[in-house]
Amino acid sequence: MVSKALLPWWVGGLLLGLIQILAVVANSPLGVSTQFVVVDSKIIHNVSEDYAKEHSLISQEKYTKFGYGFWLDIGLVCGAFLAAVLSGSFRLSLTTKWWKVNYGSNLGRRFATGFVGGILILLGSRFAHGCTSGAFASGWAQLSLSALPFTITLFGFGMLTAKLAYKQSPEIERE
Amino acid sequence: MDYLGFMIGMLFGAALFLAGLANPDKIIGTLRLKDLHAMKTIAVFVIVGMVGFWFLDKAGVAHYSVKPANILAVLLGGAFLGVGFGLTGYCPGTGLACAAAGRLDALITVLGMFVGAALFIFIYPSIVVPIDGVWAMGKKTIPEVTGISAAAWVFGISVPLTVVLFVTAKFKKK
Repeated sequence: MVSKALLPWWVGGLLLGLIQILAVVANSPLGVSTQFVVVDSKIIHNVSEDYAKEHSLISQEKYTKFGYGFWLDIGLVCGAFLAAVLSGSFRLSLTTKWWKVNYGSNLGRRFATGFVGGILILLGSRFAHGCTSGAFASGWAQLSLSALPFTITLFGFGMLTAKLAYKQSPEIERE
Repeated sequence: MDYLGFMIGMLFGAALFLAGLANPDKIIGTLRLKDLHAMKTIAVFVIVGMVGFWFLDKAGVAHYSVKPANILAVLLGGAFLGVGFGLTGYCPGTGLACAAAGRLDALITVLGMFVGAALFIFIYPSIVVPIDGVWAMGKKTIPEVTGISAAAWVFGISVPLTVVLFVTAKFKKK
């Protein structure tokens, strides 16, 4: 059974919105995915400085140093870890309930799907200049034009893929 | 170390976890329209962010980071991310948060994300740049393009959406 979230939807949403407001005042609207490229860029700069210096993307200053955005992502990891531990819900797990109902305990397939999914997630985010945080949530906060086409394909393809991949539904605890 | 970024990240990560967005079962449930918790949480997140941003902008204290509306790249990117999102139940932020909360499958997805980022770097000059140039409208906002004020958009979207959220929530309880 998929248990209900720790916070009611309106409390969780309000909390996230207030953190967005804080971020907008402090530095810039929330965003996560750029830093994956920054980390890889740092590695490439170390391995092959010549390639990196000539590269039209990672030669840019933004991709050569760990700044506000990088530390935001590190903080995100620490914050989620602490919230999980302090709320007593830290649990090691290898798969999800929706996966188990549809595919049993086949972990190899879950991991392979997860890995390929991860590649698509980051590739897509960077093509679109942002992910569900930077291009969607922060995009709408600023009424960015790009949020409109992004929302359509993100949720259109997301819903279609989920419909094809997860035909059976587990039991869901209602709020 | 950037302490401000770290602090805001801590709050964001904790909130993603507590709100149930850093939970792939909740995300898949929402994409399948079987469990609307995540959808409603995201809607409130967007509404509060939108209204908050509007006030901050009026007060002159908002920092902008408008992404370029290069339509083909955005449509394609949304589609790729959508497929990955629908397969795994993770996105970049919640993937990191879920890995931190003990989900080892999320850790594998995060590894995939680093590979995806490397792939993006390698194909950037030859493939990404040309696609990014198609229907490239640049860093435009909806009020700029439509000529309709930001206030009209913000309140025209957020007020009806808020009403719908609370009215449907009330009906469900009965």
